[in-house]
Amino acid sequence: MPSLIEVEGLSASYGHVAALKPVDLRVEEGEFVTVLGPNGAGKTTLLRAISRLVASQGRVSFKGQNISGLSTHRLAKLGIIMVQEGRGLFGEMTVYENLLLGAYNLGSEIEKVEGRFEQVFGLFPRLRERASQVAASMSGGEQQMLAVGRALMAGPKLLMLDEPSLGLAPKVAAEILDTLGELNRNGLGILLVEQKAPLALKLARRVYVLSSGSVRAELPANEIKSHHDLARYYFH
Amino acid sequence: MPSAIELIQSLVNGVGIGLVYGLIAIGFCVIYNASGIVNFAQGVFVMLGGMFAYSFLVGMKLPLALAAAISIALVAVVGVLVQIAVIRPMWKRKAPMFAIILATLAVQLLIEQIVILTLGDQPRTYPEFTSGGPLKIGQVAIGYQLFWVLGCGALMVGLLTLFFNKTRVGRALRACSQNREAAALLGIPVGSMLVLSFALSAALGAAAGILITPMQYTSYSIDGPFGVSGFIAAIIGGFGSAPAALAGGILLGVVQSAAIVVFGAGYKNVIALTVLLIVLLFFPKGLFGGLAKRA
Repeated sequence: MPSLIEVEGLSASYGHVAALKPVDLRVEEGEFVTVLGPNGAGKTTLLRAISRLVASQGRVSFKGQNISGLSTHRLAKLGIIMVQEGRGLFGEMTVYENLLLGAYNLGSEIEKVEGRFEQVFGLFPRLRERASQVAASMSGGEQQMLAVGRALMAGPKLLMLDEPSLGLAPKVAAEILDTLGELNRNGLGILLVEQKAPLALKLARRVYVLSSGSVRAELPANEIKSHHDLARYYFH
Repeated sequence: MPSAIELIQSLVNGVGIGLVYGLIAIGFCVIYNASGIVNFAQGVFVMLGGMFAYSFLVGMKLPLALAAAISIALVAVVGVLVQIAVIRPMWKRKAPMFAIILATLAVQLLIEQIVILTLGDQPRTYPEFTSGGPLKIGQVAIGYQLFWVLGCGALMVGLLTLFFNKTRVGRALRACSQNREAAALLGIPVGSMLVLSFALSAALGAAAGILITPMQYTSYSIDGPFGVSGFIAAIIGGFGSAPAALAGGILLGVVQSAAIVVFGAGYKNVIALTVLLIVLLFFPKGLFGGLAKRA
């Protein structure tokens, strides 16, 4: 059975600086995979390269189909949805409008859109309360809930998240990651990029350790017991 | 010193021309908000709207509604062609923004020359949409065309507001204006949205040109002045919502008209630019909240 997503020799650069050296990575159906690494390791570039937000070389396949040349919006139509670092909300729009835009690809399938609203409001009841509030006026935690909720409105088959805990209080970050765990238990494939290893390792089945644009290790999450283990991979 | 009647008359005239500036300004905002591009060819759409309408109304004797609809559609096609032939290739090659903006100026000059070669360099006009008038209120005369400008302007702003707030595509355009990457990540085809923004903006410019021609005239050379005035109106309005751009246009139109009466026609643009400077000094983001608010 083909992987949900498989990346082979994916590389990207900014000018003459190679931000991502050829990287191999895969996520199986329903799997939770975390990419860990220090600042500047190439984690964000990896997700941006998969989403075609930056030009890249290499092969990316989704359920066995080569999707290397597809543009960002076509990847979204396939169900590859990314939550950007910094959340990428439409700050001047309301929570409701942000969520509705998440379901852009559903067109006028009103029943499906309503169903997804219910799913998202079920996971994040606060978004229902704040539906008419402008996104930029919400707290950081609520904004992150909205970013994840909006991604879920798109009906992802693979959800990629770039440091969703960044700038959040530990309790709020844990709450959001718990929700991701619940989504994964319901069968959603997740590729999570994180710096906060302890939180991310609780959920992940497998971990890639990225450093200086290269994969330094691929191992089961339960093999990383301490920061010392990680540092060994970062700097070896 | 002008009399009170002259000032009131100039105010009325200013509202009329200001509404047209406002429509042009909205065109600037639609493209800018969707792409970050200031399209200096915006005045060309105004000129083409009037020129095409003249050809269909006077040349082919088509009914007004049909002539206007065909003219607007044709100018929208020109807008799409400009986007596809000039903007998109530069955008894809990651040309710097100032180069793209310069290219829109080149487009303006090119289309001016094409119009001279094909339609000639003579100014032309056609009758007001409703014959008779003007309506006299005391000593103030209000031409019926002003009501057409008012009505059509209000209708277009209303429709645009509905479009941007209540339709899927309108919301997607607003999303592109706020965060193009995030929009693409949700499946919104950002490239198509940019094409749409040029079509919409060109259609608005054409409508402005069709409405203003009976009050003045149209010729290959009106694109520059109308483009600049529309740009100033957009800045005063804050490059934001359609009503703000319209308000910026009306303010500019009224100030220009009053300046003509008080100082003479030669000072029209001096006063307009002075107003712009004053607005920018005290409200660097425009009078209405500015660049933060979109469409």
